[in-house]
Amino acid sequence: MNKSMLKAAIGLIVLAGLLVVPRFVESPYALHMMILLFLSVSQGQSWNILGGYAGQYSVGHAAYFGVGAYTTMMLMYSRQVVPWVGVWAGVAAVIVVALVIGSICFRLRGPYFVLASIAVAEIMRLSAINLTTLTNGAEGILVTEIPAFKIGERVVTDFLTKVPFYYIGLFLALLTLAITYWVQHSKLGYYFQAIREDQDAAHSLGIHISVYKNIGLVISAVLTSLAGSFYGIYVGFVDPPTVLGLDVSVQIMLICIIGGMGTIWGPVLGSLLLVPLSEALRSNMITEGLVKIGLVSADSKVGLFLKENLAHAHVLIYGILVVLVILFMPDGLMGFVKKLASRRKREAA
Amino acid sequence: MPILEIKNVSKFFGGLAANSDVSFSMEQGMIMGLIGPNGAGKTTLFNCITGYYPPSKGEILFDGRRMNGLQPDKVCKLGMVRTWQKVRPLAKLSVVDNVMVGALARTISLKTARDMAMEQLKVVRMEHRADFLAGGLPIGERKKLEVARALATQPKLLLLDEVMGGLNPAESEEIIQLILDIKAQGLTQMVIEHDMKAIMRISDRIVVLTSGEKLTEGTPQEVVSNQDVIDAYLGESHA
Ligand SMILES: Nc1ncnc2c1ncn2[C@@H]1O[C@H](COP(=O)(O)OP(=O)(O)OP(=O)(O)O)[C@@H](O)[C@H]1O
Ligand SMILES: [Mg+2]
Repeated sequence: MNKSMLKAAIGLIVLAGLLVVPRFVESPYALHMMILLFLSVSQGQSWNILGGYAGQYSVGHAAYFGVGAYTTMMLMYSRQVVPWVGVWAGVAAVIVVALVIGSICFRLRGPYFVLASIAVAEIMRLSAINLTTLTNGAEGILVTEIPAFKIGERVVTDFLTKVPFYYIGLFLALLTLAITYWVQHSKLGYYFQAIREDQDAAHSLGIHISVYKNIGLVISAVLTSLAGSFYGIYVGFVDPPTVLGLDVSVQIMLICIIGGMGTIWGPVLGSLLLVPLSEALRSNMITEGLVKIGLVSADSKVGLFLKENLAHAHVLIYGILVVLVILFMPDGLMGFVKKLASRRKREAA
Repeated sequence: MPILEIKNVSKFFGGLAANSDVSFSMEQGMIMGLIGPNGAGKTTLFNCITGYYPPSKGEILFDGRRMNGLQPDKVCKLGMVRTWQKVRPLAKLSVVDNVMVGALARTISLKTARDMAMEQLKVVRMEHRADFLAGGLPIGERKKLEVARALATQPKLLLLDEVMGGLNPAESEEIIQLILDIKAQGLTQMVIEHDMKAIMRISDRIVVLTSGEKLTEGTPQEVVSNQDVIDAYLGESHA
């Protein structure tokens, strides 16, 4: 059996495994973690197309995530538009936002796009806070009941358990993975990477720089918006900080940077690290763990301090992680894995 | 009709005239040598011709078409492509992928582009390097990669900016042969080079620039026997 067949076989087994998980796993918490993982993969993969392949670092992907989430939720909340229709309104809105940013910033050289991406996300967040008639302002939008999805008279799902969300999330993750694969194996991917590596060289070789940057941005924004809509429907609640905050943008970036930019599996590895980590931080698992192994006692000052603050410290911990990755694994986890593999190959030879 | 006409082209950077009132034209199939001391404005002229920035004054006609204001990508599509004096490999891509990026100017199919790229790698004798990372190549091969990548865009006019710069004599000789082979294929070339022996061998005509101005133009024989050229430029090396 050759290497690519082996890879395909492993891929199929993993896929089959993922497809049957809900049959065997009943714990809603386990399913919830899987859904967060899928969400993270699709976020990281979306950012990867623009940041990893085309080298255009967006520090404002919350704009697309949030606009997707808000559009779907607002339509469902105030106009009773079913989410699988609302999603496309979100996509349309996001394309407009992306093209406005892109057509202004991509003409210019320098860090304009990075700065503008942050600014636009902040504008969106402030709009969500202030356009209270549309968005409910800082209160956010809560939708407790999602209408059942029917084909004809037959109810396909009524969204009462986590299982339908599991499959939608899985589909979304696979979709972004497939699109990344397609990008990497098409003219588009070559042009993106040429722009990333050397914009002047790319330009002289016949590449219309701003057109291709805009294409990358739109693909990335649309996929991020789908992830945002999915998040909104799944959680049933959006408010400005959770879908439009700066830390959402940073989180999306980090999945890809830590996992490995410009690689197909980087965002998957990044998600496998970051999702459990942020869950551990959020749920105070780390403090409990330290208490359990006897490093700190629960009611000591240190223990109480950790318990109080660790949940809010994820930004700090992420910062430390990024520094470590940049210092020791400049090409992310994926680069590290590749290096190990080639070293083993050399030693075997 | 000349394939390229440079008419009174000037380029100013603030008060500095990097090119000033330069005019000459090139016939189909010829090699034009472009020489001049450091800072004479040779690279600047390439930049103006290929749309990297617009000339401040004057006009550039390619195949009879006015090129002023066209962007480099459009210039490439129309059939004019340049290499870079300071090489610009797409470092994290393989050698063949670099050349494919050039070929993709003419096709959307990766398979076609790969075939075109391998063909050009053969021309520069780098097939065996196809899967190497471009960033890891030694300078001689980086220069050849520049040429292969430019050729892959299927130009009518190839502009080479010091492709022999920094090479040893054997490597330079290989490049000279390469340029002559390309000429034999019928391609028109403009070649910037400091090595006088090399430029004398390959050029049909030579344009001499000093301080942004055209000093003279003629056949290699005419240029080396021109007293102004000897004074202004060759003087240094013949002294
Ligand atoms: N973008 C720029 N901005 C300002 N000045 C420039 C710019 N590009 C070139 N110059 C100046 O224009 C002059 C001509 O430079 P150019 O690079 O064209 O010379 P050259 O003939 O190619 O020299 P060399 O043989 O060293 O490559 C130099 O004085 C240079 O400093
Ligand atoms: Mg130069």
